[in-house]
Amino acid sequence: MSNVVDEAPGAAREPRRAGRRRTRLSRRGRKEAFYFWLFISPWLIGFVGFLLGPMVASVYISLTEWDSFTPPQWVGLDNYTRALTEDPVFWKSLWNTFYYALISVPLGLIVGVWLANLLNKRVRGRKLFRTLIYLPTLVPLVATAMVFKMVLAPSGPLNDLLGLFGLDGPEWLLSATWIKPALIVLSVWGAGAATVLLLSAMNGIPRELYEAAEIDGAGAWRQFWSVTFPQITPIIFFNLIMGLIGAFQIFSQVYILAPNNNVGGPDNASQMMVTLLFQEAFSFYHFGYASAIAWLLFIVILVFTVIAFRTARKWVFYETEVR
Amino acid sequence: MAIAPQAAAPGPAAEADRKGRRDDGDAAKRTLSAFKASPATYAVLIVVSALLFVPFVLMVSISLASDQTSAENAFTIIPGEFEWSNFADVFTATGLPVGRFVLNSVLIATLSAVGQVLSSSLVGYAFARLRAPGKGVMFMIVLATMMIPAQITMIPQFLLFKELGWVNTYLPLIVPNFFSNAFNVFLVRQFVSRLPSELDEAAQVDGLGYFGVYRRIILPMMWPILTAIAIFTLTFAWGDFMGPLIYLNSEESMPLALGLQYMTSTSNAMQLPPWNLVMVGSIILTLPMIAIYYLGQKYLYEMNLQGGSAGVK
Repeated sequence: MSNVVDEAPGAAREPRRAGRRRTRLSRRGRKEAFYFWLFISPWLIGFVGFLLGPMVASVYISLTEWDSFTPPQWVGLDNYTRALTEDPVFWKSLWNTFYYALISVPLGLIVGVWLANLLNKRVRGRKLFRTLIYLPTLVPLVATAMVFKMVLAPSGPLNDLLGLFGLDGPEWLLSATWIKPALIVLSVWGAGAATVLLLSAMNGIPRELYEAAEIDGAGAWRQFWSVTFPQITPIIFFNLIMGLIGAFQIFSQVYILAPNNNVGGPDNASQMMVTLLFQEAFSFYHFGYASAIAWLLFIVILVFTVIAFRTARKWVFYETEVR
Repeated sequence: MAIAPQAAAPGPAAEADRKGRRDDGDAAKRTLSAFKASPATYAVLIVVSALLFVPFVLMVSISLASDQTSAENAFTIIPGEFEWSNFADVFTATGLPVGRFVLNSVLIATLSAVGQVLSSSLVGYAFARLRAPGKGVMFMIVLATMMIPAQITMIPQFLLFKELGWVNTYLPLIVPNFFSNAFNVFLVRQFVSRLPSELDEAAQVDGLGYFGVYRRIILPMMWPILTAIAIFTLTFAWGDFMGPLIYLNSEESMPLALGLQYMTSTSNAMQLPPWNLVMVGSIILTLPMIAIYYLGQKYLYEMNLQGGSAGVK
């Protein structure tokens, strides 16, 4: 649909601007334009059918109460006000998601930068360390979650280990206090991906900068903050944005680690925005309410992305300032 | 800080690096001296990389544990038993069609990758080479759609596919891939824009049509980026959990990622899941990803350089 709307003004404007020469080429130009629209039609159909259409539908559904079996009931903004003012579980899931995203993403980045900086020195066995750090990131999330579920079971290896030291380990995944830290620890297993990226960025930093810094008497700490760090800020920034967007959408780990048939975890302690959305939509058939949660999630992600870009001007350093 | 001595003594270590494995005795001595020069750096590296690697080792170790060890939860980090038969038992002893799970995963992942490669190469080519009024606007839309989280469209898409009778088939997981996705279109478009345009202009003079140029000139040059896209799509579809969870509910149609979860949750609350077999399943889920990464490493690395950087998972 949208192509007709977009094409019309452009098509009308162009001949006027280009004058005669354009009209002589127009048959060829029209053929080229035809092929352009033909070739992008897979994307265009997908865009209209799987994205734009569903988005519009989602707005509408979020303004109704609908179980998909009976006709939808128009309720206006009720779903949104209910989420924001009446539903304690929504606020809990919002808090949990923030807690998770705002700890796990910076933590993963700090570990990544730290490891990359250590490996960037002339270290023996660098390749071995790199492999050990990177290999876990190739393990699919579901498999990693399985290992964690097993390790953190009440009578699992971790508590056995703690038992050797006479410690009585908590029931990690069944405890409202420990399930979020467990999820955060799991997320740090992804730090290897950032490490390898950061390491290749650090390799690209000219050696002369370090030599100059050394002559000026800069120690390792100072060299890191004055030479290395500014050069890798674009990569850190990129990983921060992508990491935050991903973390706000956390779902699979929670679903797998949560005790049987209880997506929200003990006392909703691991209820995230997407798990709540999933539960409302596919367990309770509250499609209207779930759609409202989806839009609230979108707003949260948008706000954080905008904040990140705003602050980026202050700390992200682009050498060429072109990108 | 611990790092300081390391920076100060680059000479011998670097030299040893270059010499590599040729003289092991010498290398061992150098390793020892490098370690002595900055024990803290190595201690940290060894501890942290070990911590990161432990779950991986644990997965292997448990997959080789006997049923009894598994039932008693008496695992060791380093493999103590070697029950290789677990790798056969996983297909027969769980009461679930695990062979089918694997087949389903292969089918979904492969077809998804084929769909993405075909569609995004054509769409990306059009955005890079063909001129048409409205193209700029369309490309802006492509970029804008990258920002929309999947959850927004999840529910209406589900209702749409339910209406089409596609629930409990692979179609909802595969078909959208044949309509390309914004990120892949963007990657192809950037890649093709950097190719010299003399070749396809010459081919056009020689009478090739637009599709001919795509098929015979551009497509053969695109394979590094298409390999990368295939790897991204395979990795995503292979490990995807939420999509199958929404759309597939019969055992026969589940891919492995979902089937594994099913394997751990079928037992009742008091019963322990067969952890050794679950870990075998996890290894089966992991191995293709490691293989694909090592085979495609080169292209992924190039893509990282070109795209600035790739995301964290």
